Amino acid sequence: MTSPVLTLKDLSIDFPTPTGLVHAVRDVSLTIQSGRRVGFIGESGSGKTTTALAIMRMLAEPGRVAGGSIALGRDQTDVLSLDEEAMRKTRLSRVSYIPQGAMNSLNPVMRIENQLWDGIVAHEGKTDPGELKRRSDAALASVGLPAHTGRLYPHELSGGMKQRVCIALGVILTPELIIADEPTSALDVVTQRHVMQTLTKVQAEIGSGLILIGHDMGLMAQSVDELAVLKDGELVEHGLTRQIIESPEHPYTQELIHSVPLVGGESFLSPAIGAPSSQKSSAEPLLEFREVSKVYGANTALHPMSFALDGTVPQIISIVGQSGSGKSTMGSLMLGFNAPTSGEVLFEGKDVSRLSPAERLHFRKDVQAVFQDPYACFNPFYRVNHALKFPYERFGLSKGAADTQRAMEDACVAVGLDPDLILGRYPHQLSGGQRQRLIVARALMLQPKLLIADEPVSMVDASLRATILKNIYDLKDRYGISILYITHDLATAYHVSDYVIVLYHGSVAEAGPPKEVIGAPRHPYTQLLIDSIPWPDMNRSWGTSRSADDDVLALKKMAEERKTIFRGEVDGFTLRSFAA
Amino acid sequence: MGQIPASYLMNRLVTLSLTVFIAATLIWIIPRLSPVDPADIMLGRMAAGAGSVANSEEILAQLRANFGLDDPLILQYLKYLWNTLTFNFGLSTASFPTPVSSLIAAALPWTLGLMILSLVITFVIGNLLGALMVWERSPKLVKVAIPAAMVFTSIPPILSGLLLMWIFSAKLRWFPLTGAYGLTVEPGWSWDFVQSVLYHGFLPAMSIVIVTFGFWALGMRGLMITVQGEDYTKLAEAKGLKPRYILYKYMIRNAILPQITAFALKIGLLVAGQVLVERIFAYNGMGKLLYDAILDQDFPVIQGVSFVIILMTALAVFVVDLVYPLIDPRIRHERVSA
Repeated sequence: MTSPVLTLKDLSIDFPTPTGLVHAVRDVSLTIQSGRRVGFIGESGSGKTTTALAIMRMLAEPGRVAGGSIALGRDQTDVLSLDEEAMRKTRLSRVSYIPQGAMNSLNPVMRIENQLWDGIVAHEGKTDPGELKRRSDAALASVGLPAHTGRLYPHELSGGMKQRVCIALGVILTPELIIADEPTSALDVVTQRHVMQTLTKVQAEIGSGLILIGHDMGLMAQSVDELAVLKDGELVEHGLTRQIIESPEHPYTQELIHSVPLVGGESFLSPAIGAPSSQKSSAEPLLEFREVSKVYGANTALHPMSFALDGTVPQIISIVGQSGSGKSTMGSLMLGFNAPTSGEVLFEGKDVSRLSPAERLHFRKDVQAVFQDPYACFNPFYRVNHALKFPYERFGLSKGAADTQRAMEDACVAVGLDPDLILGRYPHQLSGGQRQRLIVARALMLQPKLLIADEPVSMVDASLRATILKNIYDLKDRYGISILYITHDLATAYHVSDYVIVLYHGSVAEAGPPKEVIGAPRHPYTQLLIDSIPWPDMNRSWGTSRSADDDVLALKKMAEERKTIFRGEVDGFTLRSFAA
Repeated sequence: MGQIPASYLMNRLVTLSLTVFIAATLIWIIPRLSPVDPADIMLGRMAAGAGSVANSEEILAQLRANFGLDDPLILQYLKYLWNTLTFNFGLSTASFPTPVSSLIAAALPWTLGLMILSLVITFVIGNLLGALMVWERSPKLVKVAIPAAMVFTSIPPILSGLLLMWIFSAKLRWFPLTGAYGLTVEPGWSWDFVQSVLYHGFLPAMSIVIVTFGFWALGMRGLMITVQGEDYTKLAEAKGLKPRYILYKYMIRNAILPQITAFALKIGLLVAGQVLVERIFAYNGMGKLLYDAILDQDFPVIQGVSFVIILMTALAVFVVDLVYPLIDPRIRHERVSA
């Protein structure tokens, strides 16, 4: 028997700002039945999180509900009319919230079980310690965590484990509605699948309604029954997931579905005709690893590996893997931020850890980087021009102020930004996508020979990912820059790269051209990664929570094996990894 | 958490000893860079007292011999190190022949009492007010009154001291003007004496508290704002926890951690006393001892006081290093690899 657990009627939320009233949510009406999973999808600023926070009555200042009503639970309680104390008691016991930032959502100085207990005690009053322990252990067990996890502190848990603790917390008082706000956005695909399947399993067990907030159409397709598409605070489309995925009506929904890059799908790139001229000036390979390894304490981040990227023909080499696979370690070794434990990292034949100051300056100009976090890459006190202008002048490329200005404008145009709108602004006035494109523009201005892009699109909205990747691809395609693309996203690696290296626990699992490695993987790890990708395709199975558990166990075995499968060569790049 | 590994303890102890050793050496070197001859100063003082001194050359030589100033530098240094480690700081030149260690022993309890009392009061009040400034549910009055009270922070303690003296001692006559205890009571562990000490210590302590609580309040405010924005604070609210519980167990509990480090560093510094506060209240603590010693160029006292200050700071940091893992589980006593 289903009954409505949430009814939103003409809900409107306003944020008064110095420049006027912002209508963050406009006239949203929606009903969620018990046991149903509803996805709120849209890009950042679409109002999906704001709507969820309004249900919790936790809107950030100065936001307020401007109109409409929120009715919660079987008795359709009017949430907006509850007093503070009644609202406090409603939270967790009737509607629970699983937050986005799994990494920081738990109190760092409190044991896990204490953080489950204080939730129970806040709603049920003083409870017998044995009873508390029994309930916290049961909650942890329901999300697949052993009882001893309760005695640990948050920093002793992995990201996936912390997120499962948050899920355990979300169901411990069997609420009527669970709101999960991008619960897996900080996790890699394998963990994401594990966490999502845990969430849907416990939600089904307690029969509550679920709101899943996200921007990944694939994840939605695999997890929810209904989809609510939000754009600029309006509900533009709502219906059964299958129906929306297979025949989306609103153009925005169509765009969301098509912006997901698929393995083997249509390419979103538009390659230029004719090979670009190479930037290479030395007979030595552009970048070379000679039996490079990196060890941190007792932990081997990278097992010895050698490769040579010739660079005569510009190429994109993708390094893919989960967090902890050693891919970012490789990136920082290439940039000379870290010295290898053994072996040598060579750029144009010179050891990057032993450069003279003059050579180092050249190296810094020739090797540019794009990092994951477009927010952290700008000094907030300077206009964005500074980030573009300063290195250009510092590396002696400028021929006067007019030249610098023209170079900045050209670079902006090259990445599809309007220089009149962008230059002269402060970083906080730009969106994440704009900032990340500026970082690409900055790299382009310096005419590097090599670009190291470490998760360049993992923090920008799905709809912008393709655009930014296209910008990066163009650096190779039009400007002859070789690129090392470090990512956890196999679908984009499939499209942009000439060669793919799949890393697992610091050693190469599988390597070769993307059509082979990603299109038809042979290594069980690569296969697992591909199976874990949520596809916006209702007919494709994402496995069950049982299979996700098994896969996590299988991963541990693979770490010990350290076997490499080579899937073919490409000209200008050779790779060798050393077995245990 | 749990047991402190012996290797960690050793490592901390070595650091502690090294700090104290380097500091002791610097204290010895710095006065020797000064062109002043302590024997000359003593002679000058005798001359000032008696009008003139006969056989001044002989006396000078005698004094130099007595103070070991004729020994080779390295020998002076080694003797000094040994003496310092045994808390033998020699004789004061100004209050000759009182041992420096007994001067310090007489002054230290007063300063420790006054300063630690005022530091603890300041720490508690300052951090609590800082936390309340940020807490959403604080009464409106608190949010207006605290920033206004910060005005006092910009007053130097000497002025706040004079102000308090003028209001409470001179005008209202509630508290005594000077001294650490009444002239009529015998020092000792009697109730009368303790009462007198608290009575005399109140104004100096208050003059320090009102000018220093702002340091803690503003620091705490910044930390609280950071903690308030943390995901775990938001989740605590979403968990339906009681607001006061969130304030103590989630917000203050996390925000206070860096303040505890600052507290340890302050303990060391405060042994030096609030020099001017002790001075205006004629409070016989370390600050006054140091102040007088500097005026009199009484090197042994300056050296002795400086050493005690450094020792206290190093000890306080040592203690914090040991207890920190108990209050922050993320910090562990790492086993030091050889």
